[in-house]
Amino acid sequence: MSDPALLATIALVAPAAAALLLALVPPLRHRGAPAAFVCIAGTLVSFGAAIGLLVGRAPGAEEVRVVVPWLQAGGRTIAEVGVLVDGISSVMLAVVTLVALCVQVFSVGYMHDETRRGYGRYFAYHALFLFSMNLLVVAPNLLQFFAGWELVGLASYLLIGFYFAKPSAARAAVKAFWMTKLADMGFLVALLVLFVTTGSFEWTAVPTTAVATAVTLLLFLGVMGKSAQFPLHVWLPDAMEGPTPVSALLHAATMVAAGVFLVVRAHPLFELAPTTGDVMLWVGAVTAAFAACLALVQTDIKKVLAYSTCSQLGYMVAALGAGSAFAGFFHLGTHAFFKALLFLAAGSVIHAVHSNDLADMGGLRRKIPLTAATFGIGALSLAGVPGLAGFFSKDLVLTQVEGRAGWIPWALLMASAFLTAFYMGRVFIKAFLGAPSAKAEHAHEPGLAMTGPLVLLAVPSVIAGLFGGTLAHFVGAEYHTHFGLTPILASAMALGGLAMAGLVFGRGREVALMRTLRSLDSGSVVDRSWEFLYRRVMLGVSGVLGWFDRYVIDGLMNLTGYATLESGSAVRTLQTGRVRDYALAVVVGAILLSLFGVLR
Amino acid sequence: MMDTIGFGVVAGVSVVSALYVVRSANLIHAVLWLALTLLASAVLYAMLEAPFLAGVQVLTYVGGVVTLMIFGVMLTQRHDGTVAAASNVRNWAGVAAAIALCTLLFVAVGRSDLTTGTPPPATTTTEIGRSLLDEHLVAFEALSLLLLAAIVGAVVLARRKDHEAGDATVPTSPPSARRGAE
Amino acid sequence: MTLANCILLASLLFSIGVYGLLTRRQAVAMLLCVELMLNAANIVFVSFAHFRGGPGQIFAIFALAITVAEVAVGLALVLLLYRKHGDTAIDLASETKG
Repeated sequence: MSDPALLATIALVAPAAAALLLALVPPLRHRGAPAAFVCIAGTLVSFGAAIGLLVGRAPGAEEVRVVVPWLQAGGRTIAEVGVLVDGISSVMLAVVTLVALCVQVFSVGYMHDETRRGYGRYFAYHALFLFSMNLLVVAPNLLQFFAGWELVGLASYLLIGFYFAKPSAARAAVKAFWMTKLADMGFLVALLVLFVTTGSFEWTAVPTTAVATAVTLLLFLGVMGKSAQFPLHVWLPDAMEGPTPVSALLHAATMVAAGVFLVVRAHPLFELAPTTGDVMLWVGAVTAAFAACLALVQTDIKKVLAYSTCSQLGYMVAALGAGSAFAGFFHLGTHAFFKALLFLAAGSVIHAVHSNDLADMGGLRRKIPLTAATFGIGALSLAGVPGLAGFFSKDLVLTQVEGRAGWIPWALLMASAFLTAFYMGRVFIKAFLGAPSAKAEHAHEPGLAMTGPLVLLAVPSVIAGLFGGTLAHFVGAEYHTHFGLTPILASAMALGGLAMAGLVFGRGREVALMRTLRSLDSGSVVDRSWEFLYRRVMLGVSGVLGWFDRYVIDGLMNLTGYATLESGSAVRTLQTGRVRDYALAVVVGAILLSLFGVLR
Repeated sequence: MMDTIGFGVVAGVSVVSALYVVRSANLIHAVLWLALTLLASAVLYAMLEAPFLAGVQVLTYVGGVVTLMIFGVMLTQRHDGTVAAASNVRNWAGVAAAIALCTLLFVAVGRSDLTTGTPPPATTTTEIGRSLLDEHLVAFEALSLLLLAAIVGAVVLARRKDHEAGDATVPTSPPSARRGAE
Repeated sequence: MTLANCILLASLLFSIGVYGLLTRRQAVAMLLCVELMLNAANIVFVSFAHFRGGPGQIFAIFALAITVAEVAVGLALVLLLYRKHGDTAIDLASETKG
């Protein structure tokens, strides 16, 4: 049982089997509870295999790669499917399956009021999602990665649009799909370019610098879509229309992380293209700062967390852009825990007060103390309070960015760190402290199915940061901390942000700053410019193309059709429908043929 | 000599009765004239040392097919009891086609080498039987299948369908009026 | 009675059949004409078998059997035509008019 390839295959097959079972056996799905059981069992097996993989693996061990031919053409294998087990994928597998497990168990409680069919459908999607994500994590080449990537997109579309009867949810699902698909065009073209130039889809393909730059830029376009980087981030806040546990899964550990994971995976390729690194550095830093500003003005607790995810992904991308795959990966891991924790805690809050609006909350500290405590832990970790997981990884990112591109990205990220602490403080104060609102009066702590995962996730949210060195050793990267300016400043930012939040919101005072920010509401500006791009530019171009298609291309088609029709009508009179005429035609034909035979 | 006279008589009867088949105004008469043509052919077969075929010709053609045809005519007679007029239409085209074809065939016959030496020994019925069940077995079986299919097909086609039973089987108005309406 | 004579007789009968096929108004009458033509073909088979040998008689038997099948189906079609139009005039069946 210690064969890594076997374990990885089990981790991959278990959720796939669960998804297939739920898809093909409708009674199981329609009954509700059995579906949850099947799905969670699959996840549990997958999680067990991932843990086995992690434990059985010596740090820095050789990668294990088992593949079977997939596409064969021209006498050679174009692509393979299989599993690639190394430090990165085994860690990622463990993180993904752990978070998925927590989310699914949490969902058992959260989705309890759903209809039985809806309940079953929900878990079927979850199983599909986990399979897709695992497929992507263990992908031995870019093509399988792409397959998993698209499957993740599909599953997230289904999950975001889970309440498809709600127009806003349906729109959000389509928007997420549309935006990520737009970005995936980049991925697809990158794949083609890579294959044409190097003849392989391998992670280790070595193209020339120019090609590498093109490929990585195109890949990064895909990453921007999937990992919600500015300005392709607009789908992420809307995706909050899905059930809250879905948000936790999608936006913490899996879907959005896929983009970052891609860069980590394809790091050899990205190292060949310094230009792409600079682009990523800037995009990441701008996204981090921009999304942090937006998170500040949201009134919906989930949207705050959504923009926060965006912002944190900006950190990861910036780290990757600075050339440190490990920093990005490390932050991805810690973020997965505390963001999943935050989302699930937010789900617990929403479950308690039946509202997403911060204004409907308040004073929940006494009503749901466990949720408050775990949310607080997540918030502190996200804010980067020294000693917690978020501090270490964020610190590492900031250290890596130090001095790059004239310190500007560094400054942006530093400011974001402050803002992060500030808005997390705001959310915590508004939701849990102060006087309870009318809705918050009747809040009560949810059942074990929901509190269990919260506690479970709270643990790594606190301590994961301490294992940075271990992790680095495990995946074969270098990790060294130094107590210079950056960590001190970052700690100051975190504490300062929290303190300021306390000052500003603790007394229930809304300052002018908030009003200014809200009046700007830049979120809708980006949305509106996308809308402009879509309505005016794209539809305009489409209009021209449509005209050409309709009148020139179709015109030719119609002309052909018209000519055919006309000649048909002309010939049509030959078909008199009278047997006699047909017989005459046969006889005449026979006579002519025999004439040919006789005269020859 | 007797041979030639016999052939002449047979040929004359065949052609004349065939002409009656295609010209007779009464369908029943046409069928009976066809029977005569076929009988003449049977005689010709006998003269050509094919007695088995002559017998088959009489049994199936004259006995079977012609009877079937008479049934067909009877079954489809007009409702006023008269047999449909069997007049000919568009004579010129038929005549032209027939003459052209006939000329062509005659020319072809004239151009071909149809001289014959001593006729080979006549095929006996025994030989025909053996040959049918030996070298032509597959064709024989295929033919039986074809006949089965034809019978089933004929039954299916001619069967009264339930939804027709009420209206179309027996037209309520006289056929002439119906035709006028069309 | 030579081979040529027999073939000429068959040709004549065949042409008469063609004439009838093209001019007869009644569907049953057209079937009769088809019979004439098939019979002419059979005469050719048997003549060649007599004068030159070969399996002509077998062919003739097959042709006979096929004729029977054809008559059965043909008459069924005539019956249908009759049921539909109350007459067997072939020109009534003009559903295939283009």
